[in-house]
Order: sequence, then structure tokens, then C-alpha cells
Amino acid sequence: MIDWAWIGSHLGEIAARTGEHVLLTVIALVVGFALSMLLAWLAWARPRSYGPITWTAGILYTIPSIALFALLVPFTGLSLLTAEIGLVSYTLLILIRNIVTGLQGTPPSVVEAGLGMGFSDREVLWRLRLPLAVPVVISGLRVAAVTTIGLVTVTALIGRGGLGVFILRGLQRAFTTEILVGTVVTVALALLVDSAFVLAERRLAPWVDRATVR
Amino acid sequence: MSGVFSDLIAYLADPNSWTGQDGIIARLSEHIGLSVLAVVLAVILALPPAMVLAHRRKGSVLAVGLVNVGRAVPTFGVIALALPLCLALGLGLGFWPTLIAMVVLAMPPIFTNTYTAVRQVDPAVVEAAEGMGFTGRQVMTGTELPLGMPVIWTAIRIASVQVVATATLGAIVGWGGLGRYVVDGFAQGNDVLVLLGGLLVALLAVATDLGFSATERLVLPPGATHRDRGELATAIGHG
Amino acid sequence: MTEGAPGHSSTAIRLEDVCKTYPGSAHPAVESLSLEIRAGEVMVLVGPSGCGKTTTLKMINRIIEPTSGRIWIEGTDALTTPPHVLRRGIGYVIQQVGLFPHRTVGENIATVPELLGWEEGAVKRRVAELAKLVGLDPELLGRYPAQLSGGQQQRVGVARALAADPPVLLMDEPFAAVDPIVRQRLQEELVSLQRRLRKTIVFVTHDLDEAILLADRMAVLNLGGKIEQLGTPAEILANPATPFVESFLGRERGLRRLSLLTVEEIDLEKGPVVGPGDGPSAAGQAMDRYGTDWVVVVEDGRLLGWKWGADLADEPHGFRASVAPSDTLRRALDVILTSHTQVAVVEEGGRYLGIIDAAAIGRALAG
Repeated sequence: MIDWAWIGSHLGEIAARTGEHVLLTVIALVVGFALSMLLAWLAWARPRSYGPITWTAGILYTIPSIALFALLVPFTGLSLLTAEIGLVSYTLLILIRNIVTGLQGTPPSVVEAGLGMGFSDREVLWRLRLPLAVPVVISGLRVAAVTTIGLVTVTALIGRGGLGVFILRGLQRAFTTEILVGTVVTVALALLVDSAFVLAERRLAPWVDRATVR
Repeated sequence: MSGVFSDLIAYLADPNSWTGQDGIIARLSEHIGLSVLAVVLAVILALPPAMVLAHRRKGSVLAVGLVNVGRAVPTFGVIALALPLCLALGLGLGFWPTLIAMVVLAMPPIFTNTYTAVRQVDPAVVEAAEGMGFTGRQVMTGTELPLGMPVIWTAIRIASVQVVATATLGAIVGWGGLGRYVVDGFAQGNDVLVLLGGLLVALLAVATDLGFSATERLVLPPGATHRDRGELATAIGHG
Repeated sequence: MTEGAPGHSSTAIRLEDVCKTYPGSAHPAVESLSLEIRAGEVMVLVGPSGCGKTTTLKMINRIIEPTSGRIWIEGTDALTTPPHVLRRGIGYVIQQVGLFPHRTVGENIATVPELLGWEEGAVKRRVAELAKLVGLDPELLGRYPAQLSGGQQQRVGVARALAADPPVLLMDEPFAAVDPIVRQRLQEELVSLQRRLRKTIVFVTHDLDEAILLADRMAVLNLGGKIEQLGTPAEILANPATPFVESFLGRERGLRRLSLLTVEEIDLEKGPVVGPGDGPSAAGQAMDRYGTDWVVVVEDGRLLGWKWGADLADEPHGFRASVAPSDTLRRALDVILTSHTQVAVVEEGGRYLGIIDAAAIGRALAG
């Protein structure tokens, strides 16, 4: 059923496509995170804006990926920009929500104790709220990363690279092995990244009690 | 740019756009039909095992891991793999691969959230029910299910919205639905069709969400607490 | 010194006509409260829920901003100093503790010294010193707060508040959230800590027994922060100023007062004392005088025991109902009531000091 010979002879391309895939993902995450931090900070400073911001992000999230990409193409062409605009849009909802939740989730007694000890409001934000928000933010990044890795496969339809190319070609040529390679390597990559984030959270937030089932 | 929008309005104004095999009504019904079927199947397949496992307090590792794995699997890949499978089984292309892929997409979050919901039912209530002589099944259906309903219903709601949105991918393997407009439009360079498809799906997804909202009161038992739905949104992958 | 600062040199904190009304509320939470707290004393604010005691405490360090009034702390006008500067000189301990979850115990304690720019070595030494002071195992310094028990967490809270050696400590029902056994230990440790450190402490509690135990002076507050009575626990218990105070003190006022007095503060009876070799006539005289049928055997001031008047030839029996001069009258009463003879003997280091009975205690309360 599986054409191992084909796999063997295409290892180089598999590696290359994986590299492309990772690059597309990383760009999306970095830009998405930066944008989300900005928007979350805005929502934090002006609570009224939180509703509209999440509403917009939510709408973007609901538009199916191929539709969004297809809609952008007439304007931005079959380019990296098109792909990234789409990919970044899908990270916004989860990241913004997680960052804001993280900031709001600081226990009030901790904030009161901090103020009582002589922290200024700014010190409370930087020393207490932000560090304590790290676990939630990493959790959001983890989900965003895995989701993005899945979405990058769809960008093959608008001419970008990544492992979706195998899926598309396999479809067009009715070659199951190729589809499998595209899918399985994507899954493996996603699981690897997922684990990496779990480890990162453990290193960056050693104080979290992990005994309770989340 | 405004040209596209005025063309779209013209397209919508034309009655021919609505009727016929490729008409809006036909595509819309197709899309809704498959989505409903997929969600119903996913619930049938995922809900009972999740409830039983949670009731017996086993399998927490599976439940937690399933969502992660589910999110990691690209729906595009699943649809693509379903196609040769369906061809081999003689089910043909289009409908069946899309349906299978949508069911696979919807199952993990429904499973995991049902599991969590039942697991988190106050153990004192369960103990009281068992103490009164209810059998295991009666406890599940009479106590754990109703009390877990808010979370479960929210998971079904979000899964439905996701299925509606992702079913557009079905057009790639020859299915119809609203994705047909997107794919055909893209292939023909016809922006009006692409816009039509995208907007219709988005509207349908929002309508689905609102529809669930409206019927929520009918399904939820009075007095059950309302959990934060925000967290669940992240439970589902995007295809 | 700013103008209007209190003239009494030993006043650490002064509140003058302090008011707090929350916006949208018809009644003030605290209405025109004036209070002077002396340096080195433990001032306990006690009263029923909603009386404004916590609000008052939190206005001292401006966690809650007063609507009007003036506050001086150690001679400085608290309301014109920037709040965060003010608070770095005040220790603050709250019920939920509020330990920073993401920092270790040691790092938590080091917070204010680091904030003030202390040098690293000094900070480390101070943290170790404080751990010892509050009875915290040094091994816990590297752990995270979530890994500690409730009692340990509260100790860390106290250590953290004392870290920069502030002259003033504010404590808002700090021991309310731990279980009673731990609470008692923490209270006792606070008492002994205060004996060594002599900080000015303002302590809020709704628990009257805690107030009586800890306070040098206490203020009984009614709704609106109205001070119904201000004085030492003994004064208040002996002479409640208003019906409110009387009802707040509750029915066992007398017993509570007994825990504030000690045996050595009252006049002891000599008791039916005989020497080891004394005969029936000496014994008879002693027993007649005190109305007992037994005698106390003392030799050169040392207590040997007691004997039945009818069995003088026997060896003296040991006293079970015995108290020391430093014991509270409450303890003495307990011993007396559970003894066969309804009398307790007072001794210290083997030296006989006298006997005490329930009537003597009653006289002490009335006097």
C-alpha cells in the first residue's frame, strides 16, 4: 500500500518542505503574538475595546481558511503575504483571549499584598500580573502553534510551500503515499511542537501546581 | 474593489443564482445537511464512550491527549486521505470523504469536553444519587448528563460552527456545498463567486452559533451553572 | 516634622476625624474616627462585621483612600506622601496572605529589601534571620508558596512584612484562615515576637479572645467606625462603658477577666499549716481556723504534702491541685473546681506560698 521507495527517494524534499512549513508557522506566530500583545494591552487599558476586538478576531476565526486565502488572492496575489495574513488572523482570537485572561487572573490578594508592600501600579503589572500570566499565555501559544501548523497545509492551495504540497499533489495524482507523508509529517511536527511548549511552560513557570487535572 | 461588491449584489439579485443545481439554495441546503449529519454522528460516536469513561473515572490521559492530537491533525490531510479510502470502498468522491473528515474533526472536542463535564460534576451529587439506589446508567443519564449539559452543549455548539466552516474544504475532493463557489471561483478567477462562498459560509457559521444560543434554554436544566465558553473555543482545530 | 504633627512624642500613628464613604452609599463606612496609637503598643481594633475596623486599618496605609480627615504616621503626613513610598515603611499582613506564587518563599520575604535597594548579601542575611525569627524551617526558603501549609504560609507573610524592619505593622485578621490549633500557636508566637521587637502593631479581628490575648489596648468599634470604648482589655472587661460594649463582650465576661489576672496578684490565705512533727493539738487548731479536716505539712518553707487530721502518723501525700504564682486565675479556678477539696495549693520551686479557693478568686474579681 505504501510506496516506501518513493519516500526513500524524496527524503530531501520532505525535509525541505518541512523547513518551509516551519518557517511559515514561525512567522505567523511571531507576528500574531506581537499583534495580540498590542491588542490585548489595548483591551487592558481600555476595557471597552475588548468586546469589539474579540468580536472581530472571532469573525476572522470563523471564516474558513480556504475562503479567506481565496479572498485575499485578488488583492495580495499568490504570495507569502497572503498566506501570512490568513495565518496570523487565525492566531489572534486565541492569543488575545489568553493574554487578557492571564492579566485578569492575578489573584486579588496577591495584588493587594503587592500594593501594601509598596509596589506602584506599574510594578504590580510588570512584577506580578505579567509573570503570573506566563502559563496561560504559553498555553495559548501552544494551541495557536498547533493550529497554525495544520492551517499551513491549506496554503498549498494558493501556491505556497510546506507539507500541504504533498497532500495536494497526492490528491491530484491519486497517490495515497504522498498524501500520507504530507499528513503524517504534519501531525508529527505538530505533536513535537506541542511537547516543546509543554516543556517550555515547565521551565518558565516552575511554580505551577500540575497535579490537578486541567 | 467596489466593483466586486456591486457585482456580488447583482449576482444575488439575479433569481437564477438561487435556483438550479449550482444555485445558492441548493448549495446551502447541501452544506447544512452534511454539517448536521456530521455533528449528529460525532455526538453519537463520541458522547457515550466519554460519559461512560468519565463516570468510571478512567481514561483521563486519553481525554486530555485526544484534543491535542485532534488539533494536530490537518483536516486538509484527512479529507485527502478519505478520498482514496472512499474510492476503494466504492463510496465515490465528494460527499463521503467530506462527511468522514468532518466527523473526525468534530469528535475529539466533543469527547474531551463531555469527559471533562461529567468528571467535574460534584461528586457529592453523584454519591447521593447512587445512595438512593440509582443504577450506573440512571446516574449517568439522570444526573451526570444534565449537570454536565452546559459544557457539553457548548462543545457541540463550537464543533458545529467549526464543521460548518471547514466543510468548505469538501469542494477540493469534489463535493458541493458552499465551498464549491470558493474553489470554482478561485479556479476561474471569478472573485464574485469566491466572495459569495466565503461570505455565505461566514454568515451560516454565525447563524449556527446564534441558533444554538437561542435553543440553549430548552436544553439546559435550570439551575445548572454556566461555564466560561471562551476556553472551549480553543479546543477545536481549524482545517 | 510637618505642621499639625502630634505633640506626644510616643504617638506612632494618629488618625484625626477620618471618614470613608463609598460612592453611591448612603451611610459612611467610617465616620469621623479619631485615634492615637502609641509607639510599641499592640492596638487591636475589634468589633462586629461591618463596623469599619478593616476599612480603618486599610486607610492607614491608603489601600483604601480616606474621603476626609488626616493621618500621621511617625510624624509624617500620610496623605501627602506618595502611597507606595509610605507603604515601604509599613508592614502589611492580610488574611489570605497574598504570597507571590511565582517566587520562592525566600524571594517573597526579600521583596521589600530588594525594592529598597539593599545589597544582595544583606538581603540574604536578613531573610535567614527572619526565617529563624518566625520559626520557619530554612529548608522551606527554596520552595514555592503552594507547597507550604496554611500556618507556614502565614509565617512567611509575617516574615515578609517585617523584612525591611518597618516600625509599624498592620495586620488584618491574619490568623482567621488557619485552623484553631495553628491559630493559637501563631498568636502565642506573635506575643513573644512582639516582646522582642516592640513594633507598633495595629491588629484587626472579630474574635474577642484573640483581642484580649494580643492587645495592649483595644478599641471596640460599632457600625460606622464609632469607637465605643478604648482601653486595656482588663479595663474594658471590668467596666464596659456602654450597653453595646457589654453585649459585645458577651456573657462570660467574668471568666475572660480571670484569664488576665494571675495568682500572684491576689492575697493568698496561709492555710492549715503544721510542721512534720506537730501533734493533734496543733493540727486541730489549724484545721479549726480554716474549717478543713486535713493539714498542710511544711518544713522550713518547703512543701512536704498533706495529711488527714485523723491520720497524722501517716506520711504526707502529694498535692495534685497545685498552681504556680504565674498561672492565670482562670487556670487556678479550673484546678480548684476539679480538686477533691475545692482548694489549690500555691507553690513555686517546692516553696510553699499559700492556698487559694474559689471565694478568694471571687473577691479578686469584685475588688
